[in-house]
Amino acid sequence: MRFFNNLSTRSKLLVGFGLVWLLLAVVIRLADVEIQRGINSEKEMNTVHVRTTLELSHLRYLISQQRAIILELCVTKEKPEQDRIIKIIRESDVNSSKMIDTLRTIATDPLIFKMISGIDSLSKEYRKTREVEITMITEGNPEAAVKLGTGLQEDRFAEMNRLVNVLLVDSQRLMHDQIVTDSDVAQAFMNYFLLIGGIGLVFVVLLVYLMNKTIAVPLLTLSEVAGKIAGKSDLNTTIPFADRKDEIGRLGKAFSRMLGNLKGSTTDISDLEAIVKNRTNELTGILKEVKDTVNVLAAASSEILAATTQVASGAVQTAASITETSTTVEEVRQAAQLSSQKATEVSENAYHVAQISQDGQKAVDETVHGMDNIKQQMEVIAQTIIRLSEQSQSIGGIIASVNDVANQSNLLAVNAAIEAAKAGEQGKGFAVVAQEIRSLAEQSKKATAQVRTILFDVQKTTSAAVMAAEQGNKAVEAGVKQSVKAGEAIQVLTESTREASNVATQIVASSKQQLIGMDQIGVAIKTINQAGSENASSMKQVKQSARDLNELGLKLKALVENSKF
Amino acid sequence: MNKEHRELLQERSRNLAREPEASDAGREMMDVVAFSLAGESYAIDSSFVREIYPLKAYTPLPGTPDFVLGIMNIRGQILSVVNLKTFFQLPETGLGELNKVLRLSNENMEFGILADEVIGTQQIAKDTIQPAIPTIIGRGAEYLLGVSRESILVLNVLKILEDKSLVIDTK
Repeated sequence: MRFFNNLSTRSKLLVGFGLVWLLLAVVIRLADVEIQRGINSEKEMNTVHVRTTLELSHLRYLISQQRAIILELCVTKEKPEQDRIIKIIRESDVNSSKMIDTLRTIATDPLIFKMISGIDSLSKEYRKTREVEITMITEGNPEAAVKLGTGLQEDRFAEMNRLVNVLLVDSQRLMHDQIVTDSDVAQAFMNYFLLIGGIGLVFVVLLVYLMNKTIAVPLLTLSEVAGKIAGKSDLNTTIPFADRKDEIGRLGKAFSRMLGNLKGSTTDISDLEAIVKNRTNELTGILKEVKDTVNVLAAASSEILAATTQVASGAVQTAASITETSTTVEEVRQAAQLSSQKATEVSENAYHVAQISQDGQKAVDETVHGMDNIKQQMEVIAQTIIRLSEQSQSIGGIIASVNDVANQSNLLAVNAAIEAAKAGEQGKGFAVVAQEIRSLAEQSKKATAQVRTILFDVQKTTSAAVMAAEQGNKAVEAGVKQSVKAGEAIQVLTESTREASNVATQIVASSKQQLIGMDQIGVAIKTINQAGSENASSMKQVKQSARDLNELGLKLKALVENSKF
Repeated sequence: MNKEHRELLQERSRNLAREPEASDAGREMMDVVAFSLAGESYAIDSSFVREIYPLKAYTPLPGTPDFVLGIMNIRGQILSVVNLKTFFQLPETGLGELNKVLRLSNENMEFGILADEVIGTQQIAKDTIQPAIPTIIGRGAEYLLGVSRESILVLNVLKILEDKSLVIDTK
């Protein structure tokens, strides 16, 4: 620790950051190694396994194609078509041979190499047998070719397919294995990086602590000591860190030297200072008294100024309020005048209504009287009609007696005729007379019948008239009742309008009084307003005087303050 | 020209178009009094009719046959009244104001017969009277002279007056 303290600040920084750089270099190296390894592995994957898989897939397609083509050849009869198919078979053969050779060159695993060789030998045998088949077909024996193709050749084809599939599976398994290995290695490297990162963090924290302790804390302490010397003139303090050999140590030594010089210079001026101090003390005493007096004066004038300002503003406010009040009073006065006018109108209206309702009362009384007259008239009519009915009854009696007379005359005429007949020739003239009497009797009978009919009609009409008269009587009674009711209602109306009229008259009187009172208030407010205005102007003058006094006090104070003592 | 006028004119034309009745001159005429009984017209020789009197205040007589209506007082004389409707066994129609009594008489006999209504006096030619219709049964047939041209049943007054069955002997 002591050794580290004695190192210069530059060296301390170099040591700390150098160590951090070293850790970073280790990390870069490790990452480089890992990335290089990853690239190699990726390359191997692409050049060997992926290519093997692709070639195998292609080879499987070719084998299937050849098998399909030979079967097609079996069923083809035309010569040119056969030739074309044979040509395609040859091309396919060349392609598959090439592919098997390529697979051999890129195969790394010995087992895979062996299996590829097996496929090669199988395909060669297959080709030979197929040549035999082609010969058979061209010679015109396709049945034998088909037999050969579906027997031995099919087994071979199946075997080849199986081998290729096994190879494909193997190749994919190898790819998968390599990917797993790669990810494991990458994980291991990640763990290393995390470890190194942790170590680096711990180291940096340690470094920060050390720097704080060895540089920042001593500088702070030294600045505090320097502050003490400057502020309190305390020259008896000791400077720390003066024994260290770095920049802090040098600063401490410089401070120690400065303190020594300060201690030497303070002793010379102290005597002269004592004389000056005595005189100054005397002057200061006098000046202090003057200052106190001026202060009191200034404060008092300030207070006066403030008070007069407040009073002036209060007076102005009062004047404004009085003006507002006077306006309000004027408005209220106008409102009172309006209400007085309205009340007068209401009173007049009420008077009119009272008169009208009295007229209505009279009219209703007349109506009642008229109704009574009508009722009496109706009764007279009814009695007349009843008399008429009775008289028509007596007419009926007369008619009956006339009818009886007619009957008797008729009988008399018949008897006269009989008597005339008995008289023989002498009675013939009398018989004519008797006949005439009889016809007269018949006529009077008919006439009575007609009169009876007419009388019956008259009786019916009179009874209807009696009924009508009765109903009219009832209607008139109802009318009388209604008009009496109307009269009562109008009576009530008259009473209430009379009351309303009285009330309106009272309202008129009181609103007039109110108006007079409002006028008086208006005059009083005007007087107050004038007084307030005068008050405000006199307050302004007082305020001006107070301000002058205050300025005087302030000038005096400034003079005293500016004096050297 | 309204309906009434037209009917009047038609009536007149009908009257004018009617065939004039055969002249009664030279025929033996009979004066009769026509009356109705139970809705049918009857006639009786007026020479036997003393007078016609309204049916008034008759007094039924107990102990007499049912065709005797009763007795009545005509100007101080007592007259017995026979109801021919009951006698001829015709349907009863009831008595009323219009009922009349025909007072029949000859030298031996006098009584009244009840009539529903008196139609009046007429003259009937004796040769126009048809003999009685044989279908009329009962007692009515023997008192009939016959049926006139106007469908009036002409009664044989003499036979009624002389009939002993109408005389009530209460010995």
